[in-house]
Amino acid sequence: MAFVSFKGPVILDVPADPPAMFIVRELVGRISSRIGFEDEATDKLVLAVDEACTNVIRHAYKNSNDKRIVITFTLSMDCFEIMIRDFGTGADPSTFQGRDLKQIRPGGLGIHFIKSAVDKIEYDTPPGGGMLLKMTKFMPRQEKAQN
Amino acid sequence: MKIQTDERKPGVFVVSLAGDLDMSSSPQVRNILLPIFRKKVSHIVVDLTDVPYIDSSGIATFVEALQLSRKDKVRFSLAGACRRVESIFDLAYLKNIFEMAPDVNQLIDGEQGR
Repeated sequence: MAFVSFKGPVILDVPADPPAMFIVRELVGRISSRIGFEDEATDKLVLAVDEACTNVIRHAYKNSNDKRIVITFTLSMDCFEIMIRDFGTGADPSTFQGRDLKQIRPGGLGIHFIKSAVDKIEYDTPPGGGMLLKMTKFMPRQEKAQN
Repeated sequence: MKIQTDERKPGVFVVSLAGDLDMSSSPQVRNILLPIFRKKVSHIVVDLTDVPYIDSSGIATFVEALQLSRKDKVRFSLAGACRRVESIFDLAYLKNIFEMAPDVNQLIDGEQGR
């Protein structure tokens, strides 16, 4: 299968409702595979975006499912960028820490999964409130996207 | 998420799951899985053969079950995890913490039950 590239961002606007997250996973998986990431990298990316949205639902929106999450996908020659925008209660990114993985207890894995999947993570607090999480994954060198 | 519970032998329960194990389905699994520990049980196996995806909330459910199993001295195992699901356990450094097998029968064949 030939890898694809596309110009301009793709924007997905979904309800912040757990049953809707399969839509996000399906789209991330499809885009990731089609732009040239291997299965393992794609699986990690799907998990990372899912966990980021889960964090938004749980923490920024306090499980209130009438809110929205806007996800923007941008592809360039060098990288694939995924931005996750919420409009909830902002938080201090320095407090976003996973647990020590040597401890066997429930919870605290989401941040670890996100960090494992991407090369760069940035947080911003845009005007209008909420948070913007920007995840960047560099494209594999040997597999340049083709038109 | 489709969940089916079956007592294969006295005290040996198999919980079969079908569908994505995520934030929307984990509470449902938790509500069925954890009360089994209160029954007369010696071994609980979760069959993941038809689970194509698991997230941190699904993993958390199994970690909670594992903690209960250690407290109650009940054997707790996972069977049939696909490559993708297994790799998520691996990513969480939990693959070697759980007893995992390719299929349910491998875990319960020869087991006498309670």
